[in-house]
This record gives sequence, structure tokens and C-alpha cells, in this order.
Amino acid sequence: MDKKPTVAEKVSPLKTVQETPSVLREPVIAPLVTYPIEVVVPEVRQQTPAVGQRATRLDGHLHGLGQTRYIDDLSFPGMLYAKIKRAGVASARIKSIDTKEAEAMQGVMAVVTGKDVPCNSFGPSLKDQPVLAYERVFHAGDGVAAVAAVTEQIAAEALEKIKVDYEVLTPVLDPLESLKLETPGVHAPSANIYQSKIIKKGDIEKGFAASDHIIEGHFRTQMVEHVPLEPHATIAMWDPNGRVTIYSTLGRITLGRADVARTLGIPVSRIRIVATIVGGNFGGKNEITTEPVLALLSKKTGRPVKSVFTRPDEFIASTTRHPLIMDYKTGVTKDGKIQARKIRLVLDGGAYCSWSETTLGKACILSAGPYNIDNLYAEAYVVYTNKTMTGAMRGFGAPQVCFAYESHMDDIAALLNMDPLDIRLINVFSEGSLSPTGQTLQSVAIKESLLQAAKRFGWNGKGSADAGANLLAEENANTNMVRA
Amino acid sequence: MVTVTINVNGEKRTASVPPETTLLRLLRDDFNLTGSKLGCDVGDCGACTVIVDGKAVNSCLMLAAQADGRDVLTIEGLATMDRLHPIQKAFEKYASLQCGFCGPGVIMSAKALLDENPDPTVQEIRDALGGNLCRCTGYVKMIEAIQDAARILRDEPVEINR
Amino acid sequence: MRTFEFFAVKDSHDAVAVLAKHSVSSKVRVIAGGTDLLAELKFSPQSPNVVVDISRAEDLKSITLTDDGLSIGAVVTHSQIMQSPIIREMFPALANAAHVIGAVQTRNLGTLGGNLVTAVPSMDGGPTLMALEAIISIAGPDGRRQVPLNEFFVGPRKTVLKADELLAEIIIPRRNLGKPTHFLKFGLRKGQALALVNAAASFWVDWEKHTFVAPRIALGAVAPKVIRALQAEAYLEGREITPEAMAEAGRIAIGDAKPISDFRASAGYRRNLVGVLTKRALEGAYALAQAKR
Ligand SMILES: Cc1cc2nc3c(=O)[nH]c(=O)nc-3n(C[C@H](O)[C@H](O)[C@H](O)COP(=O)(O)OP(=O)(O)OC[C@H]3O[C@@H](n4cnc5c(N)ncnc54)[C@H](O)[C@@H]3O)c2cc1C
Ligand code: FES
Ligand code: FES
Repeated sequence: MDKKPTVAEKVSPLKTVQETPSVLREPVIAPLVTYPIEVVVPEVRQQTPAVGQRATRLDGHLHGLGQTRYIDDLSFPGMLYAKIKRAGVASARIKSIDTKEAEAMQGVMAVVTGKDVPCNSFGPSLKDQPVLAYERVFHAGDGVAAVAAVTEQIAAEALEKIKVDYEVLTPVLDPLESLKLETPGVHAPSANIYQSKIIKKGDIEKGFAASDHIIEGHFRTQMVEHVPLEPHATIAMWDPNGRVTIYSTLGRITLGRADVARTLGIPVSRIRIVATIVGGNFGGKNEITTEPVLALLSKKTGRPVKSVFTRPDEFIASTTRHPLIMDYKTGVTKDGKIQARKIRLVLDGGAYCSWSETTLGKACILSAGPYNIDNLYAEAYVVYTNKTMTGAMRGFGAPQVCFAYESHMDDIAALLNMDPLDIRLINVFSEGSLSPTGQTLQSVAIKESLLQAAKRFGWNGKGSADAGANLLAEENANTNMVRA
Repeated sequence: MVTVTINVNGEKRTASVPPETTLLRLLRDDFNLTGSKLGCDVGDCGACTVIVDGKAVNSCLMLAAQADGRDVLTIEGLATMDRLHPIQKAFEKYASLQCGFCGPGVIMSAKALLDENPDPTVQEIRDALGGNLCRCTGYVKMIEAIQDAARILRDEPVEINR
Repeated sequence: MRTFEFFAVKDSHDAVAVLAKHSVSSKVRVIAGGTDLLAELKFSPQSPNVVVDISRAEDLKSITLTDDGLSIGAVVTHSQIMQSPIIREMFPALANAAHVIGAVQTRNLGTLGGNLVTAVPSMDGGPTLMALEAIISIAGPDGRRQVPLNEFFVGPRKTVLKADELLAEIIIPRRNLGKPTHFLKFGLRKGQALALVNAAASFWVDWEKHTFVAPRIALGAVAPKVIRALQAEAYLEGREITPEAMAEAGRIAIGDAKPISDFRASAGYRRNLVGVLTKRALEGAYALAQAKR
């Protein structure tokens, strides 16, 4: 600013801020807007103005400078480092945990086990997950004890000094085994099937009877870890007034506060969770993990305590994507119209429920695919196994069933000797179609999308897209011209 | 304890650290240069990439003592708050980063590449980023940004190309 | 990582002296690039008491032609091998093998010596050198000794090196300088993936008779250590160079391999790869021979 304000002149602070260079201001103050804002509302089926627009991100500036502060970049005076001892066995009864030797180590400030946790269970829907396994171990990644020490290395060495005596039990690893009634319950006396959903529409027996061909397909998907580039990280600070501040990579802080309050047995009002910028979540940071443990270590030591998952921790002790076992049976007429479809989904839920409820529901609702099927029966079960827990991950069950129903459609097309595109065009949803659960669908443009996609990549009906290369280049050139 | 002196971002700095300290720990914990990130600690992800004597390396796989007496460049040495390096500018412009955690490593890899090869092909850029994992973006916009930065560094006119 | 005593040495004599002094009473490990060692120590409950850094050893850093052949110092990095004009000229296969190791950052740190001493069966540095019948020069308290590379490996992660010894040089014998050689790696991805199988083939061509002379085939990740496909070599020796002969050598090489199944691939899949890679490596070496003719 070239004009210096004199004493008499009144300059609004807002104006000063507005006049500072935009790079300094951008992330902090949004541009001034006047209401009502004019928003272009696109017509149904019209592209929103956002599509094809160049966008930058407000946080991109600091990211590029390496100045974004993630949790591991923060530290506080007197901060300790925590490490968690993992069970390493899939299923066991814990006979004893001896922490004496670890506690006696120089530099070790506190050790906690399950018995120190006021309420040792939590979870976003079922409260079936212990903060630290105490009597029973349900999967190899279960924490059994935690250490806070002055350095990470001392904490790591202290873990080796903690002796846990296990009575190793036979784990349930196969979800189909787990489904059987005679299989011992992972969380006995609870049943292994902990959630299920059935969708019925029309009469499948009639539909199969009206079909020329009946085709079965069996599909499996594997467990997938989110692998956020930033591992789970937490810093907890318990203050002398009995309040705890937690810096966490947690995505859902309100939910997290409730879980922390439950496990620590203190009111929500005494818990402050600071969500910082997260280095990738993808659904894997949707629930608390070690936050209560760190809070307890901080309470015990009176010092801030930090913990960052190692990459192996990330794989064995955080949630993953549900593996699905998917059985499909479809009846079609000889010209490709689907008459009936029967589906069974078995979700490997791992050791704890986590977000299985949501995943199960979505997988089941979407399992028939975007196709008009008058006669449908879909059932889905999620079962416990002694494996790493499965939870939320981008799509909540949708990608798994998509793999199954689209592969199944290809198999049907092959059997009928039809173009895989045609069989989809015959069956696909259109404006006003009813979803399997009876919802009237609006703004449906699948047919158009399929045709346009097929044109763009030069679909020739056989799975080869070679003819499309030039076409695509042409389209791209046109698009560029339009945009410029 | 070993005494390590490195020339980091043009400044001579010394610390006395346990011999098992990695260069990454030295930078982050002793020199408060937290721009370089720890993603895997075993050389797979490249979040810890820094440039030592002109070469991009995984600072999680180098002992601090092995860097004694060397020149180390980290993301913090590339720019000041208001004067960005062309690579950083291009990354911002193209929105090449989402969560940003991989960013410092990717940018240092790009910097080492452009120092050696001012006009890389897309294949060469891919090769240079082969050791940098990004879970958010899919790399496409990073590659565009690096090409853009290369043009700027070569003093060529830049047009938006998308 | 647990703590240890750290020594940085200026040359191989210094290194041997430090090793001799400490290897009697304590556990000593050498560190070059550290890309294998540090990854190992971070997750291992065991750890050495002493670590000797040879990454600055002046006499182990060069790539030179000597009377014995081409000598590559133990701490030459994979990046240096990729960029060395002499290697690119004589043995593009060696430069290619260096290029497929890890990524830029790992190649800038990791050394050829470290790659061989780690002795994992899937190493990418091994097969080409094995096909070129490289000799390992080992420095110890009693001076140097030489061991052919195929005797250097004992098993997975085991070599003939003693606790007080150092891999000093890798020597490609004079008789094999410029021998047409080709290396191929098959991994699950292009970047940062260990080999499911890798293979190198090397032979001279008798242009008059158009036959294979001194064919050598080496395979990685199909046995406890890098191996030579001796039956396939015997089949090719003196035989006319034809696509059929190369394909047949590939089939025979399958018999030389003893792969296992693991989470990366099944033994059957690996056996198939051996056939295909051997044939293609032979074809690649032949193309090079023609280009050099
Ligand atoms: C992310 C990543 C990807 C990788 N990808 C590949 C790949 O694709 N292909 C592949 O083959 N390898 C790969 N590696 C392995 C590794 O990079 C190589 O084996 C490397 O060459 C090891 O060399 P170094 O100098 O780093 O060895 P160091 O780690 O320093 O040492 C390795 C071992 O050898 C010993 N040692 C080293 N030098 C000597 C010597 N001169 N004398 C005696 N003992 C010695 C050490 O004590 C140690 O036991 C990868 C590693 C990482 C981290
Ligand atoms: S932290 Fe160094 S490569 Fe991942
Ligand atoms: S931007 Fe998130 S990992 Fe790359």
C-alpha cells in the first residue's frame, strides 16, 4: 500500500487484508461475495459448468512449498512417542501380560494395557472392537499393550520386553466356513453372521422358467488396503483440568469424539479433536484407532504423546476393503433380455464390524447392476473372521459387485454370441426405471453414455479398440478447440 | 553419537546424533525441516526424497553420517513464500497435488530430473517419478506440470495445454 | 533401529583393517548404499554392533579397463553403471539391468557390490554378470582372493564372504569384453517391482558357420540363487542360429530352473516365463551381435 493511513484517517481492517497480496490471503479469507449468488443450475442431462473447467486448489500453494503441516510435522514440548504391541496371532486367549520389564526401562514413561481402558469397546456401528485386546485376541493386528517413551526407538525396544502369554485358538479364516452354523463364533456367543440384507422383487422362479438360458457366475475379490501415503498419526495431550486435546488424522471427528468419550468414560465436552490436513484417507481414516490409548498414555505421564503407524501397522491394524464372494445366477431370453437374477454375496468382515453395515447395504442394493430386472433376489451376509478388520473404502462395496455383475454380463454375451455392448443396451436402466429397491430413477443417461463411450474409443464389438485411436485423437483435438 | 555437518539448502548446519539416525530424521527432527515426509521408511514411496550432491535419494535409506560434508537440498530450499520455483508454480497451477503428502518428494525428483535433463520426454518423466508413489492423483497432472516447468526453465513460451 | 558404532573408511585397506579389528569380538556389517541394509535393520530385532561405511572408499568407485578385463568397483552405483559410456558401449545389457533396479532414488544410492552381497535370488545385478562369467575380487586380511561369480553365491542371502572380508571389485574377464549380451526382467509392474523371473543370455557368433559360440544363459528368481542354464547352453553350443534353436533352448532352460510358488507367482507361471525370457534374451543378444558385426 502506497498511501499510509494517518491518525485521522480510518482504514477498515478488512480493507487492509483485501489489499494484501492474494498469495498470503487466499487460504484464509474467501473472496467477498454478495447475496444472492447467481448459480447456473444445469438442466437435467446437461453437463454442469464445472466439467471441463480448469481448477486449482487453495491448499496447493502450501503443498508445493512443503509447508503443509501434517500431524507428524507437529511437536510439543516434552512430547513422548508411543508404540503399540501387536498380537501377532489371529485368535488367542490372553493368559497374562507382563509389562514389568518394559516399565523398568530407562526412558519408558508409561505402559498401558486393556485393563487401563475405562470402557474397552468401540465402533462406528457395533461396539465390538477393543481399544486394546485384553482377554481375547481377534486378529493378528490387535494391540495388546502400548508404551510411551522419550524416543521412538526406546518405545520399540520396550515392546519387545513386554511378555504376553497366549493360549492360541484355531482361527476362523474362510468367510464361507464362518457362514456355517456349526463354526465356532469369532465373538461367541454372538453369531458370525452379524448383518444381512435381502432384496426381493418379482418372482425369480417364474423368471427363470421364462428364460432360454440360465447362466451362473462365481466371483471373488481380495482384501485391499487404502495405503494412504500419510500413515495414521495421533498426538494426545491430557491437560490438568481433565480435558484432552487430540490431533488426529481422523476424517470423522464428531463420530470420533463420541467414541473417545465412550472409551475414556468422560463427557464429549472434555474432548477436543483437532483435524489437520490429512495425507490421504480413502475411507481408511473414518474411525478412531489408537486415539484413546494415546489419551491414556498422556494422562498417565502428563505429557503430550505422539504415535505414527509404521507401514506394516497400516496394513495389519487399520481397516481394509471387504473381500467379497459373489454368486450370480441369471436367466436370459435368447435375444439377451434378462428375465431373472439371483445373487448371494458373502462379505468377509474381518474381526470387527467397523463400516460393514454401510458396505453390506450398498453392495446388496447395487449388486444387480444398472439393469432392468423384473425378477430379482439378492441376499448378502457379512461374517466375522479372525482377520484384519474391513471397513469403509471408496465405494463402500460398489466396486466389488461392479466387477462381478459386469464380468457376468460379458459371460452372458459370450454365451449368447452377442456384442457385450448390445446386451447392456438391451437391459440397461432408462429414465424412470425402478431400482431393485423400488426407487424411481431420474436423470438416467446410461444408454447415451455407453454409446458415446463406445464411439469415442472405437468399440468394434469384439473387445478391441484399435479403430478408435484416430477417432479419439480427433475428438481430443475438437475438445481442445472448444475449450480454448 | 556422531557429529554431522551438512550444507543444507545452502546453509552449513551441524548436529550430534546417534549413529543410526537416518538423514530424514536428522532433517525433520534436528533441523526442523519437516517438508520431507516419512511414508514407508524402506525406500518404496519416495515421500522422503531429497537431493544429495545433485542426486535424488531416499533420505530414509541414508544414514545422516553418510551425508556428512555433503550438499543437501530439501523442498524448503527451493523457494520462499512469495517466490516459487517454476516446478512449484506449475504444480500449483495444474492442481497436481491433492492431499499433498507425496508432493515434496515428487517435486524434488522432478527438480533432480530437470537439472540433468532440461527437455525430458513423458517416458523420461515417468521414469524419474518411478520411485514416488502418489495415492491420490494418478500422476497425469504432475507430468503436465513438469513439462510446463521444463518449458519455463528453458525460457520457452508456455501455453496451457490440456 | 538399534544403535551401533559407526566408522566411515576412506579406502578398502582402511575397511579391511576396521573389519579385522572388530569382527572378532562383535557383529560387524558393511554399509554401501544402505538400500538393503537399512531396510533390513529397521525391522529386525537383531542388529550389528559396528557398521562400516564404505560408500566413500576411493579405490572402490571406478569403472576401468585393466589387464584382467573390465573392473567395476564395489561401490559403483546402479546410476553410474547406467551412465558409464564404457559399459553402455560394451555391455548395454548391464546398463539395462541397472536401469530396472528400483527407482531413481534407489539407483542413486544402491551399489552393484551391495546387490551381489545381499544375494537374493531375484537380484537384477546378478544374471548379466553371471552370463559374462564375472569374477569377484574379495579383499581380506590376507590380501585379495578371486572367486567366480557362480561360486560366490551359496544360497538365498548367503555368499562365500567371511565376516572380515569385503567385496572389492567385480571383473568381467578380458575374453568376454564386448560379448553380445541381453538382459530381461519380468516384474508385476514396470517400476519398483522385484523380478518374477529375470534372464540374461550371451554368446559370440561364428559368422561363417552362423553358429552359437560359448553361449551362456543365467536365470534369476528360479532357484535359491542365480543359476546358469547349463543344459540349454550345452544344447546351443556349436548349433546353427535359428529361431527354432532359440525357442528350444528356452524349453530346455525350463528344465534347468527350480522355481518355487510364492505370493508373487506360482512355480508353473515362473517356468513358463523362463522359456519365454530365455528365448527373448537369446534373440536380443543376437540382434546386438548383428548390429555390432
Ligand atoms: C525400493 C527398493 C527397490 C529395489 N528394487 C530392486 C530391484 O528391482 N532389483 C534388485 O535387484 N534390487 C532391488 N533393490 C535392492 C537394492 O537396492 C540393491 O540390492 C542394492 O544394489 C543394494 O546395494 P547397497 O549399496 O544399497 O547395499 P547395502 O544396503 O549397503 O548393503 C547390502 C548388503 O551387502 C553388504 N555389503 C554391501 N557392500 C558390500 C561390500 N562391498 N562388501 C561386503 N559386503 C557388502 C551389506 O553389509 C549388506 O548386508 C531395491 C531396494 C529398494 C529399497
Ligand atoms: S519414506 Fe523413504 S521412501 Fe518412503
Ligand atoms: S497427493 Fe496424496 S499422495 Fe499424492
